[in-house]
Amino acid sequence: MRVAIAEDSVLLREGLARLLEEAGFDVVALCENADDLLLKVRSFSPDVAIVDIRMPPTHKDEGLRAALEIKSQHPSVGVLVLSQYVEVGLALKLLAESAEGVGYLLKDRISNVKEFAAAVRRVGDGGSALDPTIVSTLLARQRPDDPISQLTPREREVLELMAGGSSNQGIADSLVITLRAVEKYVSSIFGKLGLPSTGSESRRVLAVLLYLRS
Amino acid sequence: MGSIVGLARGQKGVSTAVSAAAPLVADPGDARAPPRPIVVGGIALAGCAAAAASFGLSLSGDYGRAPYVHATIVGWITLSYILCGLIAWWRRPESRFGPLMVAAGFAPALSRLAEANAVGLQTIGEGLLLLPPVLFLHVFLAYPTGCLERRLDRSLVAAGYAAVFGLDLVRALLESAGRHGGADFAKNAQRAAIAAIALGALGALVSRRRSSGRPFRLSLEPLVACFALALVGLGVGIVMLALGAPGTDLVRWIAFGLVGTAPVLLLIGHLRAGLARTAVGDFFVDLRSDPEPSELRDALARALRDPSLALVYWLPEFGTYVDLNGLEVALPGPGEDRAVTLIDRNGAHVAALLHDPSVADERKLLDAVTAAADIALENGRLHAELRARLEELRGSRARIVEAGHQERQRLERNLHDGAQQRLVALSLELSLIENEVDIDSGAKARLDQARREIAASLDELREIARGIHPAVVTGHGLAVALEQLAARADVPVRLTVEVGDRLPEPVEVAGYYVVSESLTNVNKYAKASAATIEVSQTNGLLLVEVTDDGIGGADTERGTGLRGLADRVEALGGRLRVWSPDGGGTRVRAEIPCA
Repeated sequence: MRVAIAEDSVLLREGLARLLEEAGFDVVALCENADDLLLKVRSFSPDVAIVDIRMPPTHKDEGLRAALEIKSQHPSVGVLVLSQYVEVGLALKLLAESAEGVGYLLKDRISNVKEFAAAVRRVGDGGSALDPTIVSTLLARQRPDDPISQLTPREREVLELMAGGSSNQGIADSLVITLRAVEKYVSSIFGKLGLPSTGSESRRVLAVLLYLRS
Repeated sequence: MGSIVGLARGQKGVSTAVSAAAPLVADPGDARAPPRPIVVGGIALAGCAAAAASFGLSLSGDYGRAPYVHATIVGWITLSYILCGLIAWWRRPESRFGPLMVAAGFAPALSRLAEANAVGLQTIGEGLLLLPPVLFLHVFLAYPTGCLERRLDRSLVAAGYAAVFGLDLVRALLESAGRHGGADFAKNAQRAAIAAIALGALGALVSRRRSSGRPFRLSLEPLVACFALALVGLGVGIVMLALGAPGTDLVRWIAFGLVGTAPVLLLIGHLRAGLARTAVGDFFVDLRSDPEPSELRDALARALRDPSLALVYWLPEFGTYVDLNGLEVALPGPGEDRAVTLIDRNGAHVAALLHDPSVADERKLLDAVTAAADIALENGRLHAELRARLEELRGSRARIVEAGHQERQRLERNLHDGAQQRLVALSLELSLIENEVDIDSGAKARLDQARREIAASLDELREIARGIHPAVVTGHGLAVALEQLAARADVPVRLTVEVGDRLPEPVEVAGYYVVSESLTNVNKYAKASAATIEVSQTNGLLLVEVTDDGIGGADTERGTGLRGLADRVEALGGRLRVWSPDGGGTRVRAEIPCA
C-alpha cells in the first residue's frame, strides 16, 4: 500500500516513515507542508495520505483544508488526519460528506504500531478510523434515560469499536468473539438506538457519530 | 434733491450701525435698532417723488417712440428697489443691504435727469447715466449680507464705480477742452468697460453659486437666473447703444424689467434671514432648558440651518478634536467642501464647528450662536473629555487583553511544537526499538509502561495547553470549537451556532471563553439537567447565550470566573449580563461587537 506523509516536524516525519516501511507500507512521498502534499498526491497517487492538521505557514487549518481538498479532488485516496487534539467539531467536519476513506486520530496513536498500521490500512482500503477519544467523549455525557444506557456492557464495547471504524471482523478479533456474535450485537445495538441498519461499515461510523452528537 | 440728502443721511447711519454690530448678542439694543419710522416714511415719500419725477422726466425727454413704456419701467424699478430696500432695512438693520437697495432705487431717477430739458440737470444726469447698472451689480454681489466678502466682488464693484466716475470725468475734461473725438472715445470706453464688468459680475455670481453650500445655493438660484438675463440684457444694450444698433430700446426694457423684479427675490432672501433670527430665538430657548451635550449639536444645527453641522471638542491634553463620544475626529483639510469655525472661551480654544461653507456667509449669526452656546459648549467639552478618557481606558484594557492573548497563543504553540511533538516522537522511538531489538517479556512490559507514562504526560499537557489557549478556535473557528465544549459537558447540551464566516480572532476567543466558563459553572454548581448554547450574529454583534435549568443563584461578584469573563468581553467593547434567580436557572448572555 502506497502512503504519502505530510508532517512539518522532521523527527515525526522520519519516524512515521520508518514505522510504516517496517510495517510493510510503501512510503512514496514525504512532505513538509500542505501545498507540497497536494502536489505529490497528484503526482504519486498514493492509496492513503497521512496529514498533520497543523502545518506551515500559519499552523492553523492548512492540514484540514488539504485533507478536504484531497477528498474532493481524489476520492480514491484515503485521508488520515493526525492531531495533538481530537475535536468533535473537526470530526464532524471531516466526515460531513462521508466517512469512506477518512481517518482522524490523535498523534499519540502512532506509538501503537500494530493498531496504527491497521488504521492506515483500513483508511487506504476505503474504510474509516475515528479516534476512540471522540466516541468516549460523546458517550460520557449521555443521560440515564438515554437509549445508550440500555446497552449491555458488551454492546457498549461493540458500539465504541464500531464508531471507531472497525469492521465486524476487526471487532471480533479485538473482543475475541465470533463474527456471528458480533453481527448479533450490531443488530441489537441498532435496534435499541432506533437506527436503520446500514450495510457499509463507513456509513455506520457517521450514523453512530451523529446519533451520539444529537 | 431732498431725496439725495435723505439717502446720504440714511447711509451714514447704517454704516455706523454695521461697525457696532459685531457683538450682536452681547449688545442687542442699539446696533440692531431699525431706522426710525420718520426716516422710513421720509425715504418712502422721497422714493415716490423720485419715481414720479423720473416718470415725468422720461415722458418729457425726447426719448424714443414709446415714452410711456420707458417711463413706467423706470418708475417701477425705482419704487420696487426703494420699497423692498426699506423693508430689508427695517427687518435687518444690522446689514447695509437695505440701504444699498434704497440707493440703487434712487439711481435710475438721478440718471433720468439726463432727459431733463434744463441744461444743468442734464449735465448731472448724463454724468450718472451709467451709475444704475453698477449699483445694481453692487446690490446682487453684496447679497445677502450687504458686504462684498470676496476680493473678486470688491474689485468688480470698485472697477464699476471707477468707470462711472473716473471715465466720466475724463470725458468731461476732454469735452471742455473741445476735443470731441477724444470725449466720444472716453464715452464708448466707459460703456464697454461697464458692459465687461457686468459680464464679469455674472461670472462671479455663478462661481459663488457653485462654491456655496446647499441652503444658500437654493436661495441664490432664482436670483442668479434673473440677474443673468438682466445683465446680459444690460450689457448687450450698452454695446448696442454704443454701436447705434436698432432694437436697443426693447432689449433695455426687458433688461430693466428684470432688474425691477429682482427686489422681490431679494426680499424673499430677507424673509429667510428673518427665519434665521427666529431660529436664534429658539436656540436661546433651547439653551435655557439646559440641553444635554447630545442635544447641543442638534440645537446648533437648527439655529444655523445646517443639518450636516458637526460639533467637535478640542481636548488640549490629548491634542486632538473628538466627537461627543470621545472618538478622535480630523478637521477637514483645505480642499474639502466643509468649513470650520473655531470657538474660543476665555482665551482658550474649546471646540470647532464643521459646517457647510454657506453658513460662514452669515458671519454674525454664527458669532451670535457660538457666543450664546458658551456654557453649554464647556459642558459638552467636559462630557467629551470624560468619554475620551473612558475610550482611552477601554483601549488600554483591550491592549492588555490582546497582549495576554498573544502570550498565551505563543505558549500554546511552543508546547505544541516542542514538548508535545517530542513526547510523541519519543513514544514512537520506543516502539521502533521494541520492533528492532530482541527483548524479553520483562523488558517489553517496561517499555509498555514507559509508553503509558508518555501517553499520560501527553494527556496532561493537552489539558494544560487547551487551558492556556484554545488553538482550535484560532485554527478552525468558533462553531467547530464549541462542538467539543458541548460534547465534554456533564449534561446534554443543545448547541446552535448561526455565524456565517470567521470573526475577528479576539471576538471568537472571547465567545469561546464565555461558553467554556459558563459550562464549567453548569458542571460545578448549577445542578442542571440540560443546557443550551445559542450563538448568533446580528447588527455587527456576536451574541453568545448559555442557559441552564439548574438552581440559579450564581454570584457574579464572588467568583472570579464570571468577573474575568466580563473583563474580557468589555475590553472588546461588549457587554456581559447574567440572570440567575434562585431556583430559576442561569442565563449568561454576552454581546460582543464584531463588525
